[in-house]
Amino acid sequence: MNQLKNLKIVVLVLVVLLILVIVRNSNQHIFKQEVKTALEAVKNNSNLISPEQLLQLKSKWLVVNIGADNLPDSLRIENSIRLPFENLLDRANRKILEEVEGDLILYSSDEATASKAWIILNQLGFENIFILNLGDKPEELKYKFQPDTTARLEQDSI
Amino acid sequence: MTIFSRAKISLGKNKDIHIKQIKMDARIKYSILLIGVGIILAFLPFNAAQTFQLKADELLSLSGSGDMYFSVDQVARFVNNEDSTIQIIDIRSAEQFRECNIPGSVNIPFSELLNPLWEPTLNQKEIKTIFYGNGNQTANYAWTIVTGMGYSNSYVMKGGLNEWFKTVMLSQYSGEKITPAENARFENRLNARKIFTQINSLPDSLKTRFFDAKRLTQSKLDGGCE
Repeated sequence: MNQLKNLKIVVLVLVVLLILVIVRNSNQHIFKQEVKTALEAVKNNSNLISPEQLLQLKSKWLVVNIGADNLPDSLRIENSIRLPFENLLDRANRKILEEVEGDLILYSSDEATASKAWIILNQLGFENIFILNLGDKPEELKYKFQPDTTARLEQDSI
Repeated sequence: MTIFSRAKISLGKNKDIHIKQIKMDARIKYSILLIGVGIILAFLPFNAAQTFQLKADELLSLSGSGDMYFSVDQVARFVNNEDSTIQIIDIRSAEQFRECNIPGSVNIPFSELLNPLWEPTLNQKEIKTIFYGNGNQTANYAWTIVTGMGYSNSYVMKGGLNEWFKTVMLSQYSGEKITPAENARFENRLNARKIFTQINSLPDSLKTRFFDAKRLTQSKLDGGCE
């Protein structure tokens, strides 16, 4: 009994530490994932999904349009919602995202917006998120550099 | 031995035992504290060194602001002026980088972004780091990752190398009159185009000497010392 009394301070310190850890982890704005997971997914393009792949999915999914433009008519996707990118993490919108059953498909006509949203949601611990890729190759160089074969450094400058 | 001296010895022994007990108690306390902290750390769901340091709402707010972009015209100006307050990072593969790159840029392929060797280069307080890829996507991934990790002063060249080619390399003026502002813009593009073409046409061994030669020519034109 006496020994237990002596341990009071130790137990108190541990409880305070535990409370701090719980408070920190329950903060919805703290990132919990390792950055490496996002990097690997992007490297392998495993975070992209084409409209054909989407329509073949057997699990449930929801397209979230975070861009300024509407979804292209050609896609004919009915189960979609619109959440502005800048309000993506507002309490109500976050709840919607958390309650999505199945895969979360991000769409934006501007690929930069979808890329940033994907990284943020992935790092917040959202699983099964993909970017809807309409088949464009945004990272393909569309121009070919033509070297100037006559280029040389001036002799007196070297 | 007198009764007094026996009593003194007995008191001394009790004191030793009491001190030993206090020491033992302290050891137990520290041990329990350390074990407790260890258990809490073991159950932490992430490794703080490998996660984003910024809060999600802060990162989202930064991502939504247009301040994270530099236009290709602005980057062309930095290249022409050899601006030492910026560094340009090419996040494409080494092979693509060898084919052509923006003069003065450093190649850090996207897959190498988390390599600790690049941390001092990417985490700059005074120098602005501008990322570019062929398009907009990979540079934005890179920006979000490094900014999330707390590397401030990071930017993206909007549109990437595709926009650079379209605006800087292929731009032509077709009007009859040109305003001074337009003239300055086209001159900036023309100079950047010249540097880009020259440096990417040179063999690798001469590329580093290109800027020395350019500086020397400039100092001669300005009438400075050689």
